[in-house]
Amino acid sequence: MDGLEILIFLFLLILGYFSGTYFEKRHYKSIRERERKTLHVPMVTFGAKQSLPEAQDAQLFVGSVVISVDYFKMISATLRNLVGGRVMVYESLLDRGRREALLRMKEEAMAWGANQIMNVRLETAAIGGRSGNNSGPGSVEVIAYGTGIR
Amino acid sequence: MILTTLEGVPGKTIVEHYGLAQGSTIRAKHIGKDIMASLKNLVGGELKAYTELLQESRQEAVERMVQQAEELGANAVVNIRFATSSVAQGAAELFAYGTAVKVE
Amino acid sequence: MFIRYKQPKKPPEGNVIKHSPLLNFAYLLGTVVIISAVIFVALGFFADWLAVRISPETERKIGDMLFHTISDEEIVDDKRIQYLEELLESLPESGETTRLPLTIHLIKSDVVNAAIMAGGHVFIHTALLEAVESENELAFVLAHELGHFQNHDPTKSLGRSLVFLVASMALGIGTSESGGVPDIVFRTGELTSLSYSRKQERAADLYGLSRAINRYGHGSHSLDFFKRLEEEEQEQGRLLKVSQYFSTHPLSKDRIVILNKAAAEKGWKMEGDAKPLPEWLHCPNMEECEPDAEE
Repeated sequence: MDGLEILIFLFLLILGYFSGTYFEKRHYKSIRERERKTLHVPMVTFGAKQSLPEAQDAQLFVGSVVISVDYFKMISATLRNLVGGRVMVYESLLDRGRREALLRMKEEAMAWGANQIMNVRLETAAIGGRSGNNSGPGSVEVIAYGTGIR
Repeated sequence: MILTTLEGVPGKTIVEHYGLAQGSTIRAKHIGKDIMASLKNLVGGELKAYTELLQESRQEAVERMVQQAEELGANAVVNIRFATSSVAQGAAELFAYGTAVKVE
Repeated sequence: MFIRYKQPKKPPEGNVIKHSPLLNFAYLLGTVVIISAVIFVALGFFADWLAVRISPETERKIGDMLFHTISDEEIVDDKRIQYLEELLESLPESGETTRLPLTIHLIKSDVVNAAIMAGGHVFIHTALLEAVESENELAFVLAHELGHFQNHDPTKSLGRSLVFLVASMALGIGTSESGGVPDIVFRTGELTSLSYSRKQERAADLYGLSRAINRYGHGSHSLDFFKRLEEEEQEQGRLLKVSQYFSTHPLSKDRIVILNKAAAEKGWKMEGDAKPLPEWLHCPNMEECEPDAEE
């Protein structure tokens, strides 16, 4: 392996580690804070078999987010692919995506005046990795949608 | 037009249904945004450009579904679901579907 | 009736395992490197084991097959070939046999190189004949290649690359291009095979020197070709490669040092006079020619 190649690899790895950790910490801080603020409005996944609540208004709300991996996570995950076992580095990625998408939906619904959100559904889709070859989740899109009721 | 993910509309009753209403869009990748995204892939974090791109596309799918429902004579779409599928390399289909109904 | 909502005290957590990403990474990297090193070494031994057991007839067939894919610019019907063959045949110790008759192929080339292939095909580039200054030097180069052959090195390396190819195809890692990570597996493989080929070179060196001493009674001048080539390459810088010799015969600085040390240990005589080469070795058929004549 050329020295230059190793240097670039190490540089990207270190850059990915520090920036990825920084973004993740910041994101989690914001997620926890917003979740605490919006905790009083319930979100439920039921709504079909239950009798409909008394309400005046109902509206669809969608929240979505695309979260990207960093180089460090990607390399860790590819190595993990060879070893096997739980891909711990990606867990936080998807966790952040789901919570962020739910929060965005909820905040929009609350701004509208919702007192609860029913029949919430979540969807996750992988968006291709680098240079188009779908070798790993370059990033994940999570969408959350449900019906706000007031 | 009332849109819900529930089986009905709270406070109203369904009087008639018109079957399925659906809308979809297929989005190809955006080269400019892709370059930015591949850079962001190194450092991590949210890809805001992609979030917006997909949001717009999904909005378009919803609008098409609403348009279908209107043509059918409905004033609400209930039990809406979204789905994403990649149809070709670099292209994604976003679709929304639900049941068109008339509520009173 | 609608179900009552009891608000939790704090947002739920627990989908993410707390772990140290760096330790995790170190563990993964270590596991991959160690396992691939073990696999490469084990496969290598397996390939060696196979290579030694190939019958000379099969080796000949394999060699002929490979030979037909490369041979071009070969010079035939030249007295120099006869000279080289005689020199090569004079090298083995009395009682030492080669499992196949060796064939010399003289290749017209401006690059200084010599190589041996499975089946006993020895390649000598014409540039090498111009580069050597005494028969002792030439004999050492030939004896070195002979050492490779006696040690089954050509078939071993063939077997190794074959086994690695099959293994990587079976694992499906040779084909993927995901982010340079399967690279780590291959780099490990390259490193293990590099240290292996260094070992092979050293063994062949030692063999070469011992046979040169056997023939001339001393080891003097045999290593001069080496020294000269190394100096020349260093002068020219890394951009201008004078020869391919060191790309097929990996150069480690201590190669000559190790040989001298081994000679001292074994009490080999390292002083003596050089035997001159035939005068017109660099000319076709060893007939007199202009110094700059195109061959």
